[in-house]
Amino acid sequence: MSEESPSAEVSPHSNAVSGETSMDKSKRYDRGIRVWGAHGQEALEAAKVCLLNAGPTGTEALKNLVLGGIHSFTIVDGAKVTPPDLGNNYLLTADGLGMPRAQCAAECLKELNESVSGSYVEETPRSLMTSSPEFFKPFTLVIATQLGETDAVTIDGICRQHGVKLVLLRSYGLLGYVRPSVPEMCVTESKPDNKVDDLRLSNPWPELAAHAAALDLSATQEHVHSHVPYALLLLKATKHWQEEHGGKLPSSYPERTAFKDLVNSWQRHVDGIPLDEENFTEAISNAHKVWAPPSVSSELQAVLDDPCAASITQQSPDFWVLVAALRRFIEQEGDGQLPLEGSIPDMHASTQQYLDLQRIYRAKADVDAAAVQAHTRALLEAAGRDPSAIPLPDIKHFCKHARSLRLVRCRSLEEETGPGSCRGSALRQALGQEDTAANAALYVLLRAADRFHQTYQRYPGTFDGEVEEDAALLKSQANALLAECGAAGGTVGGGGGVSDDLAAELCRCAAGELHVVAAVVGAVAAQEAIKIMTGQFVPLGGCLIYNAMACTTSVFAF
Amino acid sequence: MGRDKTLSSGTAPPDTLHTAGSSQDVLAWPWAATGEELKQRVQDVKVLAVGAGGIGCELLKTLVMSGFKHIEVVDLDTIETSNLNRQFLFRKRHVGKSKALVAAEAVKQMRPDIDITAYQGNVNESRFDVDFFRRFDCVLNGLDNLEARRHINRLCLAAEVPLVESGTAGYLGQVSVHIKGRTECFECQPKPTSKTFPVCTLRNTPDKPIHCVVWAKEMLFPLLFGAPEASDLHEAPPAGSGIDAAAVTRNIADDPSCYQRAEGESSTHFAERMFRHLYCTKINELRNMEDLWRSRRPPQALDLDALRMPAYGDGGDQPAAIEAGVPATASSACKELGLSDAHSVWNDQQNAAVFLRAVALFLDGRSHELGSAQFDKDDLLAVELVTAAANLRATCFGISRQSLFETKGMAGNIIHAIATTNAIVSGLIVVEAMKLLARSFASCQTSFLQVSGSKRLVSRMSAPEPSAACMVCSTAQARLVLNANKMSLQQLVDKVLKGRLALIAPSLWCGTFSYEEGEGLEEDEITRNRKLLLLPLAQLPGGGVVHNSILHVDDQEQCFKAQLIITHREDWDDEQHPEGFYLGGDLPPALTEPSVEAAISETASPNEDVVSLTSDDDGVAAEAAARPVAKRKAIEGNTDSSKRPRT
Repeated sequence: MSEESPSAEVSPHSNAVSGETSMDKSKRYDRGIRVWGAHGQEALEAAKVCLLNAGPTGTEALKNLVLGGIHSFTIVDGAKVTPPDLGNNYLLTADGLGMPRAQCAAECLKELNESVSGSYVEETPRSLMTSSPEFFKPFTLVIATQLGETDAVTIDGICRQHGVKLVLLRSYGLLGYVRPSVPEMCVTESKPDNKVDDLRLSNPWPELAAHAAALDLSATQEHVHSHVPYALLLLKATKHWQEEHGGKLPSSYPERTAFKDLVNSWQRHVDGIPLDEENFTEAISNAHKVWAPPSVSSELQAVLDDPCAASITQQSPDFWVLVAALRRFIEQEGDGQLPLEGSIPDMHASTQQYLDLQRIYRAKADVDAAAVQAHTRALLEAAGRDPSAIPLPDIKHFCKHARSLRLVRCRSLEEETGPGSCRGSALRQALGQEDTAANAALYVLLRAADRFHQTYQRYPGTFDGEVEEDAALLKSQANALLAECGAAGGTVGGGGGVSDDLAAELCRCAAGELHVVAAVVGAVAAQEAIKIMTGQFVPLGGCLIYNAMACTTSVFAF
Repeated sequence: MGRDKTLSSGTAPPDTLHTAGSSQDVLAWPWAATGEELKQRVQDVKVLAVGAGGIGCELLKTLVMSGFKHIEVVDLDTIETSNLNRQFLFRKRHVGKSKALVAAEAVKQMRPDIDITAYQGNVNESRFDVDFFRRFDCVLNGLDNLEARRHINRLCLAAEVPLVESGTAGYLGQVSVHIKGRTECFECQPKPTSKTFPVCTLRNTPDKPIHCVVWAKEMLFPLLFGAPEASDLHEAPPAGSGIDAAAVTRNIADDPSCYQRAEGESSTHFAERMFRHLYCTKINELRNMEDLWRSRRPPQALDLDALRMPAYGDGGDQPAAIEAGVPATASSACKELGLSDAHSVWNDQQNAAVFLRAVALFLDGRSHELGSAQFDKDDLLAVELVTAAANLRATCFGISRQSLFETKGMAGNIIHAIATTNAIVSGLIVVEAMKLLARSFASCQTSFLQVSGSKRLVSRMSAPEPSAACMVCSTAQARLVLNANKMSLQQLVDKVLKGRLALIAPSLWCGTFSYEEGEGLEEDEITRNRKLLLLPLAQLPGGGVVHNSILHVDDQEQCFKAQLIITHREDWDDEQHPEGFYLGGDLPPALTEPSVEAAISETASPNEDVVSLTSDDDGVAAEAAARPVAKRKAIEGNTDSSKRPRT
């Protein structure tokens, strides 16, 4: 927070101490650390968050971040506490009536976690954005709630200019909207659900090939034979197969069956009956790893091919330097392969054989990481930076996760909503598909409702008697919007454009903040904020629509 | 998905909305009742929230903010520091107090006009009976354990009250709706049971870190500080469990008295004696059993004198901090030893130092707990001891060591639990509750919350219909495979009826034999029961419970009635089936041919593919950590039944 910032500190709770001990903190944050690790927690504890508007939606989102242990928060809200606030915002009580809403919410939120400091600004977000856009510069992340489209575009522009991350969210009756807006997020730890084993069975490096060759299966004693790790069995079988088939791998179904039969034929027999050795069973069920090794995913290829990795300058972020080094490795030492990750899966094996094999994979991973390091140093030097600016542990960490690198780029709100730049065809497509049609239409109607508000200074459906008239007006706004961004002709309700029914439903819901919707979207937004602040997991690349009427969600990148 | 239909029907004129029956069912929930009608129902109904933890706190808040006025809440637990990252109704000053009471008070402050009753208690208690449940219009679960979930499911079925069930783990979550006769009950889909390890592996041939952690937590800890009978470290292995049971018994059976402190023995001396006993004497005994090490690396004993930390000096001096007068009630050995990073893996010296110091601290500072102490994942000193003890054992067996943080997660079966997931799930629970109140049953759904949605974050399916084969909500028969000559009635009651089927006060009968538990038994009935419990099933009165017997089971305290068809297997192998039985809706296919032995082990884990999110709240759930019994095939007796370490 800059010196001249107009925010006021919230006085600490009467019995609050200067901070919790590290022991208390590790207890308090234990369950979170199990999800995002100690380094993720550190990132959270350094994060400064700004909340725009302290309605139920905003305070729900911020509550979850305060519990998670961010460094500090600042609430910007120009309203005073009124009786309707007490109905839907659990933080506010009758004692606070007439007081600044920002102050009351900040005081209550601070009580949730004494390690988090809080402050507030009693001013509307719009006036603060206009008068001092610089105000937002010191923050890590802004959570902007209940803003209409115009204000949303403004705060997005300010955040992008200052390199501040942004999550927009809204509850609108039974409709929820969450939209992360980060120009670029490079995710090293995307934490995919399924781990891929990279065993190099068909293209072993010399040390691995020699290790497999050194083992003479027929000469081993029985208990050694039944404890040879399946990776070694498959390496031997692959080599054998390739020698007999001109270097080719089994490619057809009969060939693959024959390959499995080959492995099976190496089992020990007693009185003509195979022993059913478990390592052989594993080898056969893992044989596909020979002919279907892990490939470079399209997401990873997109990262590798990104222009940011093509030219490294002094200003290039470390991530892109490492991607450039990774590319060079793949082209040169890797011969098309990624650096080896180094870990091997569980296998039926004796302790010694398993450890020996593991050592060989780890050694290769170290060699590969060293090669990536050499490229990194060369790239840094050529860009005029200290060649050792990226330390080896960081490079190893990067190599370990190379297979699951992800890149998320959110379009700016201005691009998304601008008539010339919006993705009308994507919108039209979403409107035409059964599983996304209703939620895409709700997206359009939400934007139309903002235009309605600009025209009439109120949201549609505000007055009970005017629901039908408002619905008609809203529908015409929506159809105008569709025409403007080239998405007309989508077939919701058959007739093209947005159906009467949906428009009427949005009017019936009206624009209020229902607590149950606020709780859901506030939590979704907080979750996205945590992904963005910790740099882990993959955040939404577009907006999420939560439809509490049908209880569905859709994600759109328009 | 019927979305268009439900949405478009929203424009139907209001007077057609209230025609009874199925036409209402197709309406999306907000329009199934008029706004005023639904609002009134929300205010009038009485709901029960089970659990006031991670989900419970969010749920109670969302309920009162959504206008619910009559709420009751049950939770047994007290507040821990590690709850505060998500259970936002609690403050640091509440640590140690009842979750139910504090949560009720907190939401009452938000809405002073609500009527809320809190019970600090276990839902298994008899005061929460069917009549108690009948008073509610809807039951909302935010629980952290399978046993309680199953109990609530059965009570809700008996009381015919709809149930909304939920669970979270990390970024994943799930919400489902259970209405008797309309949708499947919580137990229609089999749930994974907790992982058990063969005692022999734990005691003699560990090969994974978890084996060492379970040994330290369940065998060593009770032996040192708890009730020794709770540990089977010193018991003989079960008969028929392995190659050379006699030799194992001879060598490994332990005199429990050697784990007791001698008269006048200092705590430091006792700790050192235990170290030498566990990591030298016992390891060498094991090492001498050559049969065990034909295909394994034999364990290496540790030398205490070589592992003393420099600070200890040579004569067993204590670290400076201890000399400086840190009181013996200090709660942490790590603190004294300066090992503050829970994520680092200690070396052998550090493990030895923590072990010695933790044992001594426990004896000196917590003598009142001796003889009854129980392991608790939130008890720092206990976690330190288990970490060090498990790591030292891991070193002996060439298994990789774990950090305190990792060990705590394994020993406490800790499930990731964060605020955001709980909040989303709680919101979804209230939406489902609103649908129930709007009587929009057809729109009730099961929701799944995913980690990251490129297309959607929450996916849904319509609530499935009840399963005809469910033992809980339909009257079904199940197959119970066991060795009737070995399994005693006590084991049947404890392991099968209470352990697996989660009964509380089972009654059973088979032909003329009957057995009953529960309150109100006469003295002579209790004496008779005690004698019966010791008998193997085959020797029970009235011809015994034998092959093809039909065992009738019910539980008066729950809605539960089932018939178990007994399949007797003389060659049932405890090593392959640590639980000692197989229970399934159908006969395992291989059993139709009694001579195929190996097949039993493959079918003994019927829940292998069941992915279940049944944890939540306190972040702890044994069943969510469950994995099926490891697939193992006997190759040559049991010499080959174990594997390598993972490092």
